[in-house]
Amino acid sequence: MARVPILRVRDLLVATVQEDLRDSDAQALEVDLGLALERTEAAGVIIDVSVVEMVDSFLGRLLNDMAAQAKLLGAQTVVVGIQPAVAITLVELGLELRGIRTALDIDRGFTLVRQLIRQERLRGTARAQ
Amino acid sequence: MRNDELPIAGEDDIVRSRQRARDVARELGFGMVDQSRIATAVSELTRNVVRYATDGRGEVLIRELRSPLGQPGLEIVVQDSGPGIASVDEAMREGFTSGAGMGMGLPGTRRLMDEMEIDSVPGRGTTVTIRKWRR
Amino acid sequence: MTEMRNREQFTADNDQRAEMIAQQRRTISEMETPVIQVWPGILALPIVGSVDTMRAQQMNETLLDRIVATGSEIVLLDVTGVPVIDTSVSKHLLETVAAARLLGAEVLIVGLSTRTALTLVQLGLDLTGVTTRATMAKGLELAFGRLGLEVVPRRRLSVDPEAAEL
Repeated sequence: MARVPILRVRDLLVATVQEDLRDSDAQALEVDLGLALERTEAAGVIIDVSVVEMVDSFLGRLLNDMAAQAKLLGAQTVVVGIQPAVAITLVELGLELRGIRTALDIDRGFTLVRQLIRQERLRGTARAQ
Repeated sequence: MRNDELPIAGEDDIVRSRQRARDVARELGFGMVDQSRIATAVSELTRNVVRYATDGRGEVLIRELRSPLGQPGLEIVVQDSGPGIASVDEAMREGFTSGAGMGMGLPGTRRLMDEMEIDSVPGRGTTVTIRKWRR
Repeated sequence: MTEMRNREQFTADNDQRAEMIAQQRRTISEMETPVIQVWPGILALPIVGSVDTMRAQQMNETLLDRIVATGSEIVLLDVTGVPVIDTSVSKHLLETVAAARLLGAEVLIVGLSTRTALTLVQLGLDLTGVTTRATMAKGLELAFGRLGLEVVPRRRLSVDPEAAEL
């Protein structure tokens, strides 16, 4: 089983998908992220899919679910690096993934997730540090 | 002319089939976006087989095509001997992309491809044929 | 032997012709989709003429590649030059918005006439999350705002520059 590594960077979790994921690998990532969020109480999650060349309806929905799960656990999620070909295919499939925030690369992803965390804090629902 | 046959027996074959389809598409000169469309379509169809066909078994046929005008194309046939789709019309109707059961993901797959044919006999099996032509 | 060679030659000629047509089509598409970087982070894409499925697909590909290449976060899609915006054209535009969003970019549609806007609403399209402005200027203003920028008149010198040198 190819587990996607999850790194902790300060109060953020970073998961870098490095290969074409099997369905069970993707589901394992969702579980692992949930466990990591509980354990670390991270305020943000970055999922890096910059080397992923194909996102179908299964993985697309899973990404949505991961963001929703994170939100329930008080964390903001940003998916970074969706490739143009993948974006076009997803939209044509009918999956706009409105439930996830996205950024072009990991750098911008960090900036965006910080922004989202700040906004949530102002709204008073983010995790206390 | 490429003519590949791959068995579907488990989820590993979903990945194998879509990677092979992408490789053949690349060989035939399809661009990055079309490669993604083709890989995604194959992923959707083979997953249907693994999830809903009897024993989750079936097979994928990847065939290189050439139109009468010389245009290269790709044909992929995904077949199984599963429960079949009770109503292909219903499965193809918009909004059937969510939900469970055989036929899930078919409208989306149709949008990604140039041509799609479904042959399904309830109780006997399903054969889905998709084609994409290089521009 | 000759027949086989003739057949092979025929196939080769056809291949060459098909390749040439494909290449020409690509060139025309590139010319039709002039993506302009109007400011660091802001791209503009003026669309002139009708938008069919093939053109829309080419447009999206070119635009997304440019978003990646320039790292732009805002796209101003100018539809002033599109004669008819019906359901099918709007669907294409909405796809562009959605695809760019997946790359972290926001698409602002400018140049929609009031009449077209009303038509789109009446057609029942889901326009939530789509931001529009009547003119490119207004669109630019909004784009600058998103980047935290503002265009202000240059301040006049309160002191005579020559006198200051003494």
